[in-house]
Amino acid sequence: MDFLLQGFFKAIELLTTGDPETFSAVYATLVVSAYSLAVTLALGLPLGFCLGYFDFSIKKQVRVVVDTLLSLPTVFIGLLVYAFFTNRGPLGEWGLLFTLSGIAVGLTILALPVVIALSATAVESMDRQLRVALISLGANRQQLVLSTLWEARHGIIAAGLTAYGRVMTEVGIAMMVGGNIKWQTRTITTAIALETNKGEFAMGIALGLVLLMIAFGVNVSVSFLRKRY
Amino acid sequence: MESPLYAIRGLTHVYRGKPVLSIDRLDLPRGGIVGVIGPNGSGKSTFLRLAGFVERPTAGEVLFDGKPASPFSPEVRNRVTLLPQEPFLMKRTVLNNVAYGLRIRKASDHLAERVDKALSYVGLDGKDFAQRPSYALSGGEAQRVALAARLVLKPEVLLMDEPTASIDALSAQLIKDAVLKARRDWGTTLIVASHDWQWLYGICDTVFHLLKGRFLGTGRENILFGPWERVENGQWGKRLADGQQLLVPKPPEALAAAVIENVTIMPQAEPVSGAAGQVTLSGLITRLALEKASGSIVVSVLVANLPFTATLTEHQVRNHELYPGRMVAIRYNLNSVKWV
Repeated sequence: MDFLLQGFFKAIELLTTGDPETFSAVYATLVVSAYSLAVTLALGLPLGFCLGYFDFSIKKQVRVVVDTLLSLPTVFIGLLVYAFFTNRGPLGEWGLLFTLSGIAVGLTILALPVVIALSATAVESMDRQLRVALISLGANRQQLVLSTLWEARHGIIAAGLTAYGRVMTEVGIAMMVGGNIKWQTRTITTAIALETNKGEFAMGIALGLVLLMIAFGVNVSVSFLRKRY
Repeated sequence: MESPLYAIRGLTHVYRGKPVLSIDRLDLPRGGIVGVIGPNGSGKSTFLRLAGFVERPTAGEVLFDGKPASPFSPEVRNRVTLLPQEPFLMKRTVLNNVAYGLRIRKASDHLAERVDKALSYVGLDGKDFAQRPSYALSGGEAQRVALAARLVLKPEVLLMDEPTASIDALSAQLIKDAVLKARRDWGTTLIVASHDWQWLYGICDTVFHLLKGRFLGTGRENILFGPWERVENGQWGKRLADGQQLLVPKPPEALAAAVIENVTIMPQAEPVSGAAGQVTLSGLITRLALEKASGSIVVSVLVANLPFTATLTEHQVRNHELYPGRMVAIRYNLNSVKWV
């Protein structure tokens, strides 16, 4: 057990002394998770709203597909994205393989079903009287959508948090699409996997602590915003 | 002659393949108070949602102020508002709920003051209530806040679906006072669906009776529901709980509803002669209500467990010494029974 304790103290040292390799992985993780979450929310919230709000003939079938995509294996997404972005692939000329942008694309595919499914559930669970109340108070179509999303905000925040948790802790896509290149595409999770294989527990534990701190910070911020609004 | 505020033409509304409302032609006047009465499931809420432009009818059109209108139409969006039976308040403070309609109209001047005034209309103290979250309100308070959110808009038309159902007597009275004040101060047209007949007859210029999705007329009709069966002498009718027989002509089907427009009320002490084709029943007067528009008095009589109403003049009521609690006889002609 000593190596764990030593690893913990080493982690504190790496973080407090500003170890560049550690901070490079932290930076890569924050960049890819921020990009992918931004795109996921921009695409997923409108789609989730439509799925939860409107009744259409194939709604149940679409719901089954989205729910199935929730359990899409990350290595399969990694494989698909790799296949598309490799030089022989249809999108090879975009040059996204082994880049942070490439990882962000894969993570977006991973997180999109999470945001669609959970925000659809949040909107669906709203009281049907909300629509009547908003229209009768004079809301136009745009105000109806925005006010409904605002009313479902707690469920939507939960969807965003869950998606962020998935992209932050993902390792398969980052490894396959990013290539785990030091100083370039090495994220916290791929670095932990590598350092553990090398027997360098201190670095792994340090990066694990950083992940925990980011998660803690995000949750505290969200909790503060929830109380306020 | 002034054009009607609402002109409904050939309207049909279907819900899950089943017709729930059908109105060939209906005009509603500007600035009036219109009551809609009818049993549960008769289409009252559907009518209010369509007249409140919250839903679009399956067929037909609703003209508002002479122009065809539908949900989100600029002609109606800021002029017509509906207070549903179950008030829905957003997850916000009372202030933000009441101010919502003003904010989306970008009419945020003196917001707190206007919200305060609207709350005072419904008997709520703005200082005490404005910052309360909506989930911390009782049912009656929530209903009053929902009404304040409509009144703050000074609507041209206010539609209310059972506004006083399932709330305490004080809240009900405050709501009644508030809507009448809106009518008085701003000339708001009120369209109210309620089971509170006494209140409706007391305030309404016109009362409509809605049954099975159809308007039957003035609301003075007596509607009797089946099942009907053959009783003595081959006649059709039903045996009431107190042993009396309610007779009707042959029904089109066992569960058809019978409409009796003209019911006569006589003091039971007087001899009742049952002419041929006439049915006489004994019942108890339960209430008298003044019909504001005509000055007539609506007399409600309970025969066994069936309510009947008749409209009499003040002179007739006084002459026959009719008062709640008195046993009387009611009479109707079999030929006057219609089926719906």
